[in-house]
Amino acid sequence: MKRYELIVIGAGPAGLSAAIEAASNGMDVIVFDENSKPGGQLLKQIHKFFGSKAHKAKERGFKIGEELLKEARELGVEVVLNAVVIGIFQNKEVNVMLDGQIKHIKANNIIIATGASENVVPFPGWTMPGVIGAGAAQTMMNIHGLKPGNKILMVGSGNVGLVVAYQLIQAGCMVKAIIDAAPRIGGYGVHATKVARMGVPFYLSHTIKVAYGSEAVEGATIVQVDRNWKAIEGSEKKLDVDTICIAVGLSPMSQLASMAGCDMENNPQKGGTVPICNQYNETSISGIYAAGDVSAIEEASSAMIEGRISGTAVSYNQKYIGKSEFVNRFKEYSESLSQLRQGMFSHENKGRIDLTKTEEGYDISQNLLQNGYLSEKEVIKYPGVVSEKVRKRGIVPIIECTQNIPCDPCQTACSMGCIKIGNTITNLPVVDENSNCIGCGMCVASCSGQAIFLVDENYAPGFAAISMPYELYPLPQKGDKGVALDRAGKVLGEAQVIEVKTIKAMDGTNVLTIKVPLEWSMKARFFKY
Amino acid sequence: MQMMELINKGGDRVIKSDVIIVGGGVISCAIAYNLAKRNIKVIVIEKDHIGAGASSRNGGGVRQSARDPRELPLAIYAIKNLWPYLSKELGVEIEYHKKGNFRLGKTPEHLKILENVVNQGLDAGLELRLLEKDELRKLCPYISNEVVNASYCPTDGHANPMKTTLAFYKNALKLGTKFITGETVKSIILAKGKVSGVKTETNVYEAPEVVLAAGYESKAIANTVGIDIAMRKELIEAIITEAQPQMFSEMIGTAESDFYGHQTEHGSFVFGGSTGLEPFLSDEVKTINKSITAPYICRAVLKYFPIMSSMNIIRTWSGFMDIMADKVPVLSKVKEVPGLTLACGFSGHGFGISPAVGQLISELIINGKPSISLDAFRYDRLKPKG
Amino acid sequence: MSKTIERVLLDEEFISETDDSVIICRCEEITKGEIRKAVYDGMRNMNEVKRYLRVGMGLCQGQTCTKLVKSIIAKELGINPGEIEVPIPRSPTRPVSMQTYANDGINK
Repeated sequence: MKRYELIVIGAGPAGLSAAIEAASNGMDVIVFDENSKPGGQLLKQIHKFFGSKAHKAKERGFKIGEELLKEARELGVEVVLNAVVIGIFQNKEVNVMLDGQIKHIKANNIIIATGASENVVPFPGWTMPGVIGAGAAQTMMNIHGLKPGNKILMVGSGNVGLVVAYQLIQAGCMVKAIIDAAPRIGGYGVHATKVARMGVPFYLSHTIKVAYGSEAVEGATIVQVDRNWKAIEGSEKKLDVDTICIAVGLSPMSQLASMAGCDMENNPQKGGTVPICNQYNETSISGIYAAGDVSAIEEASSAMIEGRISGTAVSYNQKYIGKSEFVNRFKEYSESLSQLRQGMFSHENKGRIDLTKTEEGYDISQNLLQNGYLSEKEVIKYPGVVSEKVRKRGIVPIIECTQNIPCDPCQTACSMGCIKIGNTITNLPVVDENSNCIGCGMCVASCSGQAIFLVDENYAPGFAAISMPYELYPLPQKGDKGVALDRAGKVLGEAQVIEVKTIKAMDGTNVLTIKVPLEWSMKARFFKY
Repeated sequence: MQMMELINKGGDRVIKSDVIIVGGGVISCAIAYNLAKRNIKVIVIEKDHIGAGASSRNGGGVRQSARDPRELPLAIYAIKNLWPYLSKELGVEIEYHKKGNFRLGKTPEHLKILENVVNQGLDAGLELRLLEKDELRKLCPYISNEVVNASYCPTDGHANPMKTTLAFYKNALKLGTKFITGETVKSIILAKGKVSGVKTETNVYEAPEVVLAAGYESKAIANTVGIDIAMRKELIEAIITEAQPQMFSEMIGTAESDFYGHQTEHGSFVFGGSTGLEPFLSDEVKTINKSITAPYICRAVLKYFPIMSSMNIIRTWSGFMDIMADKVPVLSKVKEVPGLTLACGFSGHGFGISPAVGQLISELIINGKPSISLDAFRYDRLKPKG
Repeated sequence: MSKTIERVLLDEEFISETDDSVIICRCEEITKGEIRKAVYDGMRNMNEVKRYLRVGMGLCQGQTCTKLVKSIIAKELGINPGEIEVPIPRSPTRPVSMQTYANDGINK
């Protein structure tokens, strides 16, 4: 039987990163992926990633996927597509279904990087056409160019629900509401604010009661729930929707690890049944590793590092690198991973309802958590929002980033040094009171959370200019008249486009500048025409 | 009221009953049901969950043909008197179908085997005949051209072993049988030379009658009172297809014994088979699958039913047979250990006779007079060659 | 390993709930009520419920419904869903045609 030194199962962020790491140390690596295109979930991630430069922050997911593939191929990694690993048997035997055959192959090491699948929530009507997973909607839109529907109800306010809701709007759909049974929004505040200012209402402590329609979804009824998840009678609301997207979490697809005989555990924090692994991502079977979502549900950025860690561990145990090199690499990677695992949304803090202050001591906006947007009174308290006095001096960046999340591209985006975060990338960004902003707009375009605006209260007598990130087509043109919306998506009134900046370096995020009455300088945050 | 009581390990409980049955498979549940019907207090102790062993890992065959002649009376009795009425009696659809059994042959050697099967069956009063190619193709249009003969027993059939086991369990539970799962019986306790109960890792259960119906695990328990059971373990594997439109109602087997199976009520096909390497691979503890078996079974099936080539397999499973040295079970009181009864070693064909075994063992325990003689299944029947 | 339990039959009648008709196992079209009734009838773990009803035996082999079935069983039994053992996954991870399976080149 043919034997490989390393078989990687799954060509997503974890699998490709593992392959790259091992191949860079001289190993022969083969990667099997059941899809016709590699990249896993990265392929359909059209938004910019968070983290730091090392974590590929500011880059759009699909680009990261393309880069990983290129790097892997350049290192001689064999990536086999349309290859389904149907089982792992005793003695690390892998069976692959490829080209109408089953291939029996063995490996000295196996890295399982098979990712996760979407959870579902059943309700009357959930088997009708029109009820789909949020991930499935993303695949339809971003891979196949199909609109999943027209009027969408998003169930789930975690990062997936929030990000996909935004992408649905980009695809031309109308998101009628985002609901969550929990009393607070589960994902990053900035993902919520993006859609809130476009007019998407949030209904927290609401669940879906029924989807109705004769042959497909024609509408849905949502209902409020109390603290014990019991429906409150009389609180039903009918929504006119034709599509219901379910974004209620992911479960690791760990079947192969179980089949291989790894010790498994049921770990709700990690998303479900996962193989028990040590810090090198090695399972209970020596030589079998698990990296990425399959070992615990996290982000693609963590998956990539876990891939690296298992890749370097395999390289070490196969004697392609020595002990000191291994120790150094592992240290570097685990520190990078720790950086990502800090902040308000870290594992320790997950689900905590008692957090009221950021690490610096600022109030965490409850309005943001419950409605998806900051109130005007709240926003001015944060270090990214300069004082009225400073605003009166002229154009300044206004950074409405109010939660500790690991992210720092804004720091390097400003060539004038206006923005500081420091080495702890979960720190809230601080805008220097002595800021000498030149209004280039690079910070606006660099913020993956689209939380940075330029506000020029000296634009013209009685008027302010607001620059905002804009990623919708068709792009407005200079001179276009429309309306300005506030953070809650409420129409403030008439506004006019005075500039649209589209630069390659901004990577698809246009900077749109509108002219609004001065009183709206700290209110207007979106434009519709 | 709680649906289950957690039994604390180290609880030092002593529970008394009329009968203790070790093992929670179809045999135990059938025996328990029959005893409970007569108001006898039974405790069933199972180390895993109900039906975790061979009861949920067999081909579902309910057949008489090609059985060892010693088993035939039990099989005939079960099919005539018990199987057709079980769904109604137990209130659970156990999917019993009496639509016949084909044993297929391609070569002259196969024909000899089939002739033997037919003659043995006829001798025992069974309806059996040998089919030539044309008649076979009329009854079974899906077979390949290479199949030239088959033995056909119209009164054989199949049922759903998982549901049958759980149906017996459900009814025994309703009739007052105590079922304890997650506890392992370690030894039999004697008092003054007679059975007085069993000991688990943590508790003692007292009863004057103990039945060992724990498949291969019965051996170690019987050893604790100086009784050996001449059986070994062997892995079997099976493949399951997606649901298909109804094609076959018969049970299928081959003279070559390379595969067997049937189409379930659900529509999926269940096929079992052996590569021949299994006896050498059986010191497994867990029911794992070997990578060579599913491909092998597919090749075997396709040689007889090439029409199935595009059917999708969605699952494989494996289990252990407890194979007696002479391939029929031990169904017997153990004279030298009064109170001990053995009901194990079904050698891969226990399911079809399970309702009969349930009745007969319960009769054996109640008054020592089973409706069909169990003499051929005595625990001490095995003798050396010369 | 499984906890040691004694199975107890409920004295009271089976109580229907308003959402008993919601399908939980989409592949085999098994409803919530059927799962609840199976537990009421004596099934005390996921393997028993699975073999009794066919939940998780369809095309997706439980990928979609396992978490849901676990929580329904757990609720009926009054225990934490984490305490319910799930059925073990088996090869093949995706459907494989008989022809493809037969074609494994092992005898070459």
